[in-house]
Amino acid sequence: MYALLLQTADDVAREIARLQHGYEFLSYGLIVAWLILVGYVLIMVARERKLKREIASLKAMLEPPGATSASRQSPAR
Amino acid sequence: MRDKVLFFVGAIAFALLLRDILVIAGLPEERNQGIIFKIIFFHVPMAITALTCALVAFGASVAFLVTKNFKADALAVSVTETGLAFLAGNLITGSIWGRVAWGIWWTWDARLTSALVCWLLYAGYLMLRRAIEEPTQRATFAAVFSIFAFIDVPIVIFSIKWWRTQHPQPVFWGGGSFPADWYPTFGLSMLSMMLLGAVLTAVRLRQEEFQREIDGLRRMAHAL
Repeated sequence: MYALLLQTADDVAREIARLQHGYEFLSYGLIVAWLILVGYVLIMVARERKLKREIASLKAMLEPPGATSASRQSPAR
Repeated sequence: MRDKVLFFVGAIAFALLLRDILVIAGLPEERNQGIIFKIIFFHVPMAITALTCALVAFGASVAFLVTKNFKADALAVSVTETGLAFLAGNLITGSIWGRVAWGIWWTWDARLTSALVCWLLYAGYLMLRRAIEEPTQRATFAAVFSIFAFIDVPIVIFSIKWWRTQHPQPVFWGGGSFPADWYPTFGLSMLSMMLLGAVLTAVRLRQEEFQREIDGLRRMAHAL
């Protein structure tokens, strides 16, 4: 009876270890998948900001000297 | 308006993916592999999204070579970059799955190797684009390279049919058994990945438009 109880306890411990192992690796997988997607989104956001900044600076460079944003908005006043 | 639509659809895709995690946590364990089998809800949709991106890139590259329309080239590069991110996710989640199911992180079998080669080819495509300055030459070379790279895609898909591999036969079309009541969850996972792929491609496409605008402004600045 005692031996049977010991064996059952071993089985339970083994099953818990197996489950923990599976959960651990499943969570690694999900974390990696999310990190890749979120990381890519963040790269896109950073790139978009950089492109917008570059467009703004090029437009400012090409603007004729002395021209202001107000004069561009109402040229035929 | 376009920004808002993209943000809204992207938010829906991310919300669906979050919901996926909650739903798969509630599903029962698979009999042979245990809990790790649930990674299929990310691994397979990522692969299908990546290979769909490769197909679109192939179509766009052919379209560019035929029409010389730079919008097709922009679509090809956008969809390739998005597909590369999804394929990276597929390879890494597959490696983690393999560690539990097979006891190894990686093996050089036909499916895994061809998928890695596919990733390297498309990474090479992006590197090639960076190496060529002249836009028409860059687009033409890149389109030819993309068509060449696409040859690997059917090899990735059918490798498990053509050769004996460590990677198992497909669950859906290879006689595998996927529980019928898991299909809705899988379908939702697939939908969210595809939606996310489409949004990321649209955002990347817009960045290509910005880049073209920058090129135009630079040319104007040089002319002045």
